[in-house]
Amino acid sequence: MQSKLTDIELIEQTLAGNQSAYADLVKRHQRFVFTLALRFTKTREDAEEVAQDCFIKAYRSLQSFGGNSKFSTWLYSIVYTTAMTFLRKKRLDTSSIDDEGNFLQVENQNAAFENNLAENKSRSFYLNQAIEQLLPDDAMIITLFYKGEQSLEEIAATIGIEPNNVKVKLFRARQRLKEKLERNLKHEVNELI
Amino acid sequence: MNHIEEQLWNYLDGLGTEQEREHISYLIASDKVYQQKYNELLTFNQELESIELDVPPMAFTYNVMESIRNEAASKPLKAAIDNRIIKSIAAFFAVTILVLLGIALANTHWDGTLGDNMHIPFNLHLPSLKGLLNNNALKGFVFFDIVLALYLFDGYLRKGRSSQNM
Repeated sequence: MQSKLTDIELIEQTLAGNQSAYADLVKRHQRFVFTLALRFTKTREDAEEVAQDCFIKAYRSLQSFGGNSKFSTWLYSIVYTTAMTFLRKKRLDTSSIDDEGNFLQVENQNAAFENNLAENKSRSFYLNQAIEQLLPDDAMIITLFYKGEQSLEEIAATIGIEPNNVKVKLFRARQRLKEKLERNLKHEVNELI
Repeated sequence: MNHIEEQLWNYLDGLGTEQEREHISYLIASDKVYQQKYNELLTFNQELESIELDVPPMAFTYNVMESIRNEAASKPLKAAIDNRIIKSIAAFFAVTILVLLGIALANTHWDGTLGDNMHIPFNLHLPSLKGLLNNNALKGFVFFDIVLALYLFDGYLRKGRSSQNM
């Protein structure tokens, strides 16, 4: 059962030495943090490691959280930097959609997707598969906007760019997602969108 | 088409001025292209809103809290001790040294003579240092110092490198 206290109240209790208050904060945000991490890492094992690392980092620097923004915005910025560091360590290129390497990566994912196509036909499956095929940045912006209850300004603060750029990135990310859905589903796309 | 999509996405996201939104609303109602595209994007938007979040393993919270507890337990003593305790001990010694120094200076005869009541109670026979400071002993001592300094410098560089990698 999750605590009914607000994030700020739980943070105050944690800072006063109550560790179970922090456990409540972790329970509250773990699904979203894990999902965001998964957008970058693509494997559950790595996502778990990144998400765990994020919560430990947040705990260590909880004192520096000023309360000027939502705790979730602050936490997601930790997720973003931790996941980017993870990707750099794994030497994955995430900088541009036009890179040939990315196309190769996406093509491989498409092949894997086609193998599973006959087995899984739920609507959310198609959408999640298409999101998995997106670049981490695109997948993260879509997830933050639709599931993180984050405004364009808050997303901008999370990933350190201007709100106008977030708007453009969101527009492009949705377009790419739609294209991937259409490509993957072929005839079935008409049924879905 | 791209421009239409951009306008419609702004409309769906609740962006733009009141005037712009009214204009798009009018276009959706009157223009078939806008209407068709709007319905398409609206359905897609609803699909995106219904994305389900992934669920981490059952023991996720426990693992996080366990890592935090382990980290706190393995914290070096230097970091675990309250800085105020260290400062108060340092202040005690500083005050003691200053007081003793003050007393010593107050009792000093600056003319260079021994005080009337000051005398050494026994005859001191200090060993000759000349034997200890012969050439070979001095060289050995310097050599040992250099090796020790290099060892400590190497340790310092390794520590700096490992903290950079973290």
